[in-house]
Amino acid sequence: MNGRRRALDGLKVLDLTWFGAGPIATRALANMGADVIRIETAKRPDGLRVVGPRPADNPSLNVGGYYNNFNAEKRSITIDLTTERGHELGLDLVRWADVMMTNMTLRAVRQIGMTWETVHAVNPNIVAMYQPMQGLTGPHAEFVGFGAVLSAVCGVNGLAGFEGAPPIGVGTNYPDYVVNPMHGVIALLAAVRHQRKTGQGQLIDMSQLESSLAALSTPVFAEANGSGYPRQGNRVPYAAPHGAYRTSEAGDRADRWLVLACLDESQWQAAARAMSHAEWATDPRFTSLAARKANEDALDALVTAWAAEQHGPTALTALQAAGVPAGLVLRASEILADPHLEARGYYTYLDHPEAGVRAYDGPPVRLSVTPVELRRAAPLLGEHTMEIATDILGLSEDETAVLIAEQVLH
Amino acid sequence: MTHEADASGALSDLRVLDLTHPAGHYAGRLLADLGADVVKVEPVEGDPARHWGPSLPGAPAAEASVFFVLLNANKRGLALDLSDERGRAAFLRLLATADVLLESWTPAEAARLRLTDDVLRETRPDLIHASVTGWGISGPYAEWAYADIAANAMSGVMTLAGFVDGPPEQLPDHQGYHTASINAAAGILAALLHRDATGEGQRVEASMFESLLMAEETAMQQADILGTDRARTGGQGALGFKMPGLGIYETTDGHVYAMCTGNAGSGFPGLVQLMRALEGSTPLDAEPYASFIATAMNTAQITVLMADPARAPQVRDLLAEIETKVVAFFARHPKETLYVRGQELRVLIGAVNGPADILASQQLAARGWWREIDDPIRGHLRYPGFPWALAGTPARLRRPAPLLGEHTDEILAETGLVDEERAALRAAGVIGGAR
Repeated sequence: MNGRRRALDGLKVLDLTWFGAGPIATRALANMGADVIRIETAKRPDGLRVVGPRPADNPSLNVGGYYNNFNAEKRSITIDLTTERGHELGLDLVRWADVMMTNMTLRAVRQIGMTWETVHAVNPNIVAMYQPMQGLTGPHAEFVGFGAVLSAVCGVNGLAGFEGAPPIGVGTNYPDYVVNPMHGVIALLAAVRHQRKTGQGQLIDMSQLESSLAALSTPVFAEANGSGYPRQGNRVPYAAPHGAYRTSEAGDRADRWLVLACLDESQWQAAARAMSHAEWATDPRFTSLAARKANEDALDALVTAWAAEQHGPTALTALQAAGVPAGLVLRASEILADPHLEARGYYTYLDHPEAGVRAYDGPPVRLSVTPVELRRAAPLLGEHTMEIATDILGLSEDETAVLIAEQVLH
Repeated sequence: MTHEADASGALSDLRVLDLTHPAGHYAGRLLADLGADVVKVEPVEGDPARHWGPSLPGAPAAEASVFFVLLNANKRGLALDLSDERGRAAFLRLLATADVLLESWTPAEAARLRLTDDVLRETRPDLIHASVTGWGISGPYAEWAYADIAANAMSGVMTLAGFVDGPPEQLPDHQGYHTASINAAAGILAALLHRDATGEGQRVEASMFESLLMAEETAMQQADILGTDRARTGGQGALGFKMPGLGIYETTDGHVYAMCTGNAGSGFPGLVQLMRALEGSTPLDAEPYASFIATAMNTAQITVLMADPARAPQVRDLLAEIETKVVAFFARHPKETLYVRGQELRVLIGAVNGPADILASQQLAARGWWREIDDPIRGHLRYPGFPWALAGTPARLRRPAPLLGEHTDEILAETGLVDEERAALRAAGVIGGAR
């Protein structure tokens, strides 16, 4: 084994996930050292193996950047779990595993024969997480959707953006990428801790709706207790100025936006000085948070007019030097080249036999002694079928070849 | 020593000290939900978020912040001046009893407090020392000031959100804070498993900036593979033409989001079935629509047709006519009917909900998701439930958020400080809160 010991070395994870929220969770486990075996099938490949971004005119299931980013360091075995023999082999992997995770719909879980009853019967000590959109129980348990549908249902669309504008959402399937996968990792690791102490596994029923709401809890809690939390664009109730302001294109790229937030009086006074308008801080309209909130349109008009004359990166440097929370609205290409992320080694560049050297998102969290790091690129579809069949499933190479030909391992 | 932990939780044997900036409040809350005894250590004047609006009606000003009361439930509260030598000594006594320290110091702040990792480890060698900050504790931005919107901006999620001609938009409800907290908690759990196995502690670090990068969706890979940057599209996809049954639609009472153009669920034929189910018949069952829908109506096939210059104009006209009928259909029905009846037909459709709809959700009620607690100062409170249901080690809401310094005396007594010592600290203003 290469490199330093990692926190989850030795943990065996059976990965029956697909698309976003599931695979990102199991990727985090793999990058913490777990042996993550992902069952896939060519009969119905992960949708992310099919879509872009991908190199032009390359239809391979192995070159999609979306899939590859979410599956670094896993092993892939192809098993058609809807065949009888394939299902038996799938259950052998359930017996092997400490942890199983799926984010498929309940209907799909039944189709592949991996319900809690089945899984628990063959491995009573397993930790199994089911992550359907609305949980394992209740009148909406069978509802279907991707992150875009969930974003509507959980309130991302209704809460984002400016009052009166259509609820278009935030341009992505937001809950899929951090909130749902990493909430999942927390629960899985808590259950693994209990499993190691007591020998007992457990069922984790994780509704993606409930998980998403747990991260939209401020407006939900406000509403539930007689307060309120309206859509507010780029503002917040407790700070002003707080927003995004377009800067000058002179000497800079087009469509550059600066954000700043003054969370207390000292930050506001520092911001006014950094904007060369110290008089704003003594203007009676702006001398307290309550006053600035009452006159926020006038305040934003002043900051907007100021920003329009500024070179964005220079203004950012000046504000941060004054201790004011600020940033630039960056694009992906700028982030890939960001000097801070580069100094911290965030992006990881991994060589993949078909996709070549590509950027992967780095660790979601850093551990100093047992590093969270990506040691291999994403697997080709079925790349590890032979080694898993022989090493874990106890099949000979000839038996494996026959099962491949019969499209059981397919 | 009294341990306030929850015997049913997976972390019930652990004590956590939570000194975080608001960015980290949710990390401590997650550990508390899993059973840990989380002590919130605040300055004597209180955490800044105690004054963040909006407020709970009827509660005293310093105890009314929705944000604070929500994200600090299940914690005990201690108020202490860390910059005072006596306060620092009391803190180090407490640290000796702690398994996990959560803080949000920049490197310069940690040095100023003389509470750098090596100093902390002299008191507690196997400490799991976690930090939740805006930018991380190394690199050129390590000393930068932070706020949620600044991480939204720098991480690229904001450039994807909004209308083409409008400003970039922040994500709702502090996603920089929440994602950094979630990632920190995940890292702490991994570090605990390592400590359980080896006795060795370590440093855990999460930042808002890096935590939100995964939420750029495909933008990073598109830049890396194709050399182009994604931008905000105002809710329009990247197709370049309008697919009927895909996107936000107005209803009689709000909006739904529909995604009826792929192979998942019942696809566009499922939407036609919903139209029949709610209205008895649909113009889409007539020609030329019916055969077109039966043979071509999904994104992949339409994309191929639209790439053919000979067919594209005709297909575009047909799509526009179908879209007109879809728009009119949605506009005749309430969102909940479209959502529930549609989902029963496996149509990928969701009601665009706000907090009031969430409160009325039958699904959440049926699953017993909400948690209620009597708060002596703030009244009866209804809390959002947990992100997961662990059957063997369930999360529980055990106590309301602490009043400022509510447990100062009880916690310092647990560390062995006797009455006279605590009274002296209180008289000197080094510790705060009720006796």
